[in-house]
Amino acid sequence: MENLEKDIKKIVSKVIKIPEEKIAPDANLFYDLGVDSLLGVEIFAALDKKYNIDVPEERIRKISTLNDIISLIKEALEGEQKGS
Amino acid sequence: MANEDTSAYWRKLLKLDEEEKEDILKQFEYPHRFLRPLLYLIFGLFSRTYFKLRAFGVENVPEKPPYIIAPNHVSAADYHCVAFSLPKEIKKNLYVLVTKVFYDNPFTGFFIKVGANAARIDTVEDFFPAMRVAASILKLGKAVYINPEGTRSETGKLMPFKVGVGVLAVELGVPIVPVYVDGTFELLPTGSVFPKPGKVNVFFGKPISMEEYQEKKKTESAYYVYKEVTEELRKRILELREKAQELRK
Repeated sequence: MENLEKDIKKIVSKVIKIPEEKIAPDANLFYDLGVDSLLGVEIFAALDKKYNIDVPEERIRKISTLNDIISLIKEALEGEQKGS
Repeated sequence: MANEDTSAYWRKLLKLDEEEKEDILKQFEYPHRFLRPLLYLIFGLFSRTYFKLRAFGVENVPEKPPYIIAPNHVSAADYHCVAFSLPKEIKKNLYVLVTKVFYDNPFTGFFIKVGANAARIDTVEDFFPAMRVAASILKLGKAVYINPEGTRSETGKLMPFKVGVGVLAVELGVPIVPVYVDGTFELLPTGSVFPKPGKVNVFFGKPISMEEYQEKKKTESAYYVYKEVTEELRKRILELREKAQELRK
């Protein structure tokens, strides 16, 4: 799970072009780090490619921090494991 | 990140590669529509006398849709003024996304349903469904009216643009017609109920073709291409605003 968190942070950092060490887990991506909503979708495009998971779109609109993204991905991966 | 990933993800979210059913347009055919000719007569007269509505560059609007009509937004009268600047044939194929606040209001909702091909949307809660409605309409070969600012400007100044309009235009390859509405802010700003008499000028710019941007998307990040389109649109609307200001002098 720790690796998963690191991987997600790496992907987010790459997409938003902000070094990993500057992304606090609870920092608001949009207000604190200046991510726009389009870039927010881009994050999920990258995560979709990496983990091949379907994240409900209404959840995409509600994320605001890195921790939110990590929880969402964990949930989606667990859901897929249960389903398989 | 590879540009095709972003593009593919948007296409998936907006269901752009799924076949469109013609049925979606039926939801805009309200029973109230039999009153449309009467409303057009009254509103047309109202626009010319009370608002002294004048339109510039209407010839820039492509004869055949699909395309996006993208005006600035400062007043509840903006759609009315843009629509009544356009010939009947163009207006017939123009669809507008209306926020639930106006759509659900019995008074404004009535006029919207009679006068416009209007789809009810909730841009705050239902961003993706709203984008999908616009995409479906464009895929069916119609024109869509989208305010690129996403909401009304309460100061009258042009606000930053949302990139959704760029995503739709690039992914569907439809041109965007930049439009500047001048005068409505003074006559009916946010918070006012009754419009004041005065002058309204509507400026239509040359359509922004997506060919160049679709080429760019093959080699550059789709994210930046969408942004570039949106920035170009904003620049063109600001140019139209300059024309409007010249005319005011």
